[in-house]
Amino acid sequence: MRLPLRDGLSLLARYVRPHGRWIVALAILVLTTIGLRLVNPQILRHFIDTATAGGERGILIRDALLFFGIAVLAQLVSVAATYVGETVAWSATNALRLDLLRHALALDATFHKDHTPGQLIERIDGDVATLSNFFSRFTIDILGNAALVVGIIALLFREDWRIGLPILVFAVLTAWLLGRIRAVAVPHWTTYRKLVAEFFGFIGERLGGTEDLRANGAVGYTLQRFFALCRQLYPVRWRSALAGYAMWMANVALFTAGYAIAFGVGATLWRASVITLGTVYLVFTYTELLRGPISEMREQITDLQRAEAGVRRIREMLAASSALPDDGTTPLPDGALPVAFEDVTFAYHPSRREEPAADGRLEPTVALRDVHLSIPAGTTLGLLGRTGSGKTTLARLVARLYDCQDGAVHVGCVPVADVPLHELRRRVRMVSQDVQLFRATVRENVRLFDPSVSDERILSALDELGLRDWVLALPQGLDTLVGSSDAGLSAGQAQLLALARAFLADPGVVILDEASSRLDPATERLLEKAVDRLLAGRTAILIAHRLSTIRRADQIAILENGCVIESGEREALTRDPRSRLAHLLATGMEEVLA
Amino acid sequence: MNSLKAFVRLIRFRPWLYAANAAAWAAIMLTELGTGYMAKLFFDSITGNAPAGLTLASIIALVVAAGLARVVSILVGALIDIRHRFSIEVLLRRNLLASVLAKPGARALPGAVGEALNTVRDDVQTIEDLLSWLIDQFSFVPYTIAALAILLSINVRVTLIVVFPLILVLIGARAAAKHARRFREASRTATERVTGAIGEVMDGVQAIQLAGAEAGVVAHIEALNRVRLRAAVRDRLLSQSFHSFFWNAATLCTGLILLAVADGLRSGTFTVGDFALFVTYVGVLTEVIASFGDFLIHFQQAKVSLDRMATLVEGTRADVVEHHPIYLNGPLPPARDASETHEPLERLTVEDMTVRPARANGFLLDHVSFSIARGEFIVVTGRIGSGKSTLLRGVLGLLPTETGRILWNGRLVEDPASFFVPPRCAYTPQVPQLFSESLRDNLLLGREVGEQNLDQAVRLSVLDEDVARLERGLDTIVGPRGVKLSGGQRQRAATARMFVPSPELMVLDDVSSALDVETERVLWERAFALPNRAWLVVSHRRPALRRADRILLLKDGRLEATGTLDELLASSEEMRQLWQCDALESSRA
Repeated sequence: MRLPLRDGLSLLARYVRPHGRWIVALAILVLTTIGLRLVNPQILRHFIDTATAGGERGILIRDALLFFGIAVLAQLVSVAATYVGETVAWSATNALRLDLLRHALALDATFHKDHTPGQLIERIDGDVATLSNFFSRFTIDILGNAALVVGIIALLFREDWRIGLPILVFAVLTAWLLGRIRAVAVPHWTTYRKLVAEFFGFIGERLGGTEDLRANGAVGYTLQRFFALCRQLYPVRWRSALAGYAMWMANVALFTAGYAIAFGVGATLWRASVITLGTVYLVFTYTELLRGPISEMREQITDLQRAEAGVRRIREMLAASSALPDDGTTPLPDGALPVAFEDVTFAYHPSRREEPAADGRLEPTVALRDVHLSIPAGTTLGLLGRTGSGKTTLARLVARLYDCQDGAVHVGCVPVADVPLHELRRRVRMVSQDVQLFRATVRENVRLFDPSVSDERILSALDELGLRDWVLALPQGLDTLVGSSDAGLSAGQAQLLALARAFLADPGVVILDEASSRLDPATERLLEKAVDRLLAGRTAILIAHRLSTIRRADQIAILENGCVIESGEREALTRDPRSRLAHLLATGMEEVLA
Repeated sequence: MNSLKAFVRLIRFRPWLYAANAAAWAAIMLTELGTGYMAKLFFDSITGNAPAGLTLASIIALVVAAGLARVVSILVGALIDIRHRFSIEVLLRRNLLASVLAKPGARALPGAVGEALNTVRDDVQTIEDLLSWLIDQFSFVPYTIAALAILLSINVRVTLIVVFPLILVLIGARAAAKHARRFREASRTATERVTGAIGEVMDGVQAIQLAGAEAGVVAHIEALNRVRLRAAVRDRLLSQSFHSFFWNAATLCTGLILLAVADGLRSGTFTVGDFALFVTYVGVLTEVIASFGDFLIHFQQAKVSLDRMATLVEGTRADVVEHHPIYLNGPLPPARDASETHEPLERLTVEDMTVRPARANGFLLDHVSFSIARGEFIVVTGRIGSGKSTLLRGVLGLLPTETGRILWNGRLVEDPASFFVPPRCAYTPQVPQLFSESLRDNLLLGREVGEQNLDQAVRLSVLDEDVARLERGLDTIVGPRGVKLSGGQRQRAATARMFVPSPELMVLDDVSSALDVETERVLWERAFALPNRAWLVVSHRRPALRRADRILLLKDGRLEATGTLDELLASSEEMRQLWQCDALESSRA
């Protein structure tokens, strides 16, 4: 049996140590419970012996009340132990959750491409939850149960070695046998769980593909497959459930033997006048008391092993490191910053999860090739090109979401890799097309949970952008809850909030990926004004979806398949009838604005 | 149908199995009586109070026999219970799946797939547990009656003193159950807030990194975590107190027994054997009551689960528990109804069709009429949001229509969704779904066609070169939702899937979104080599528009104009604009 000791204990040490005092309290409470459980049969014995010897009524009543009092005390102690255990478990796991979250937030896009949000929820919340018990009760429960078993057997030996020994042998054999049966059962459970996971994979896919199934006449086929899968599942389910019942049956059979032993030993020694009738009863009660811890310990050890898988995955995640070294030290100057691309070539690497290139699509696709552009401080570059031509990629390199393989991106005349990441991202703000809204108030969505930003600052930023009246007209002003499905904002409104976010940071470079969806005229007007205000006195890269946006640009660059196929002063290009831009303006723009 | 009736209906799905199950578990509980009685006999025999003729050896033999009887009855009960549980869960899952598949395909689920899957998995489990645990409750009845009878026969006074607090415990359990639910809900809501927030953060991780908002976001989740800690601890504290109270109730009752029997034991009217019997039976009785308390809580949860299932199928509770064959033995149901004959397509007519979007992102279709004859190629075009996909889905019955009718060779189509399937019609949605099995199984969907037909379908959809490049060809497993294929490959695989049953009417929604111009051109070229087909296709690309026998030009859900390309370019400003939009792309091709 392998316990997740090494990895588990290092996590335990790190996250539980701050709660050391509580752990001590918990241990004391658990030991108290055990003590109380061991004391009870002793009182019963005293009671029986006193009564059968015709002892005083007062003593019997005292015993009964003592017994009663201990039961009440045990109840209180166990509730207290629950409180302490749960508090420690949640505090420790919450700390671990936050560390994992911080870590995930520090990892770069290559990691996040490989891990869906769903997976990360499972990692940050689900796996950690399996550790919850490990952090609090498990260790103590297992030790407690072991202590209980040892205590019972020691107390039986104290009565007479002829009682202690048979029960000891019985306990050891029972633990061993139950262990063996469990070892037989576990593979069945594992197989079953695996098959069930596949089964629900099947159902989930079908639920997501109803349109395809219906229109292609595959409803009957789907149901047929469903029944076939159920049929396949049944024998496995049968074996796995029966294996569970086998544990119970073994338990019943073994403890029947245990009672037989207790009865035999008790009766023999009683007849030989070695022990009292009360002691016979004590032996019977202690044997019964063994039942709980012996079967529980097995379960707990299995749970511990399950926690091992969680520990392993958590350590894996903590071991993942960002592909973007953050060792720059050059600060950026204040004010508008020039941006330059020098022969930039960049390819997205295939994500690690995918298989090696056998089907010809997984080689790194070159997203940008030899891009050379220069944007003087305070001017605006308009980027045009079809979907997938590399516009967004170009913008991402400025904010250093990725590092380019060849060439360099300069912001404020400094290569981006030489600037500390937080500094770079404070000074370069990107407003993307699909704005991430959080299920929180407008206030939190604008200041992104930074409590140091006061309402006055938010309102004055909104005022500058001409959005103050708009926000105050929302149902609860800054307190309006957004981000939930019932109180959604339109894409345009979400972008207004994103502009306010960016404005608050007072960046030197703004990257704006315009919303491409159609906006209502009112929002459109607000957006126009806010963008004007945001761009004033800043360097900007505009990913344009609207003709009006192009008019804002000083320079234009048109991208195609990762290459700049045309770039220059907007006015000059517009005047030149042979330019792509002039052609596009003449023929309608939708294709390149998509 | 109220919930109780629905559960009864489920019980009546396999009534004999259920009755046998109840009988077996009643037997298991009755063997439990033996354990306590053996203890009594043992103590009575050694103190000389036992009936004559019972030696220590015969009592130990009885103990072993009672134990064995218990093991055997558990085995029998287990075998029946496993079978019964499985039958119920297959029936419920079948009903959910079949009802979802019977709804308009493009609007089959009321919520997200994940939610639906939770219902199919967990809510079914909850109801299955309820039926099984109900059997436990039944089995307690004979046990309780027998145990009380034995206890009363030994000592009426002590029985009453002990049983009275047990009844109080029972009432307390009901009261506590209500609170437990409230705390459980609070804890669950707090958990959802946390996981929801983590999901949002991970979804927008780039935005957060770009905004340097990591610290704020962590603080936000930390606050949510704290709320959850409080809620979870409170929830656990209550349920744990509740449980340990039951565990301790047996001990508390033993204390009561001690008080009640002190005099009897002293005077010898109450034996140590009686005492052992009382302690054992009262212990089991408290467990019975604890389990009943749990059952009451679970019953409430099962009602919620049942309603969630009804919501999923957008039907009634009766739909959820309807009886159907579950095919655990014998031949499986056929994949499709082979007997039905159909009339070859001459003309399909759609009259005055209106489809109203149910969701904010759906698009309206407003009183549209058109027709297609055999051999015609009809292209539906228009801007984003003009209702093109809605039109196809409305015709195919994948969205419910508000007005209008559809005629096949002049005869009214009553239920388009089950009518427009192969071999009459096949369809490729804009974002087709593949399933996590081999490419071959994805194309065949259970149809039995020759290898030659399959190869032809693959070639027609311009998937042949890709298949040749795949290491395992058609046997390649395409991964969940087809992720191992590129977007274009998925689209063409779905097109091949459409060709396999050789339907007469081909409906394609905007294949161009995932295909480059050249591939799309080859696709049309090969497809038109097929004789006698009718095509209803959404596209904005020039090769398709040029080939069209007729173009249906949609604008804001209305049919703006129809005609050939030349006619429309001459007559419609909208068409001229769309044509120019496509200029850049097509001129390069």
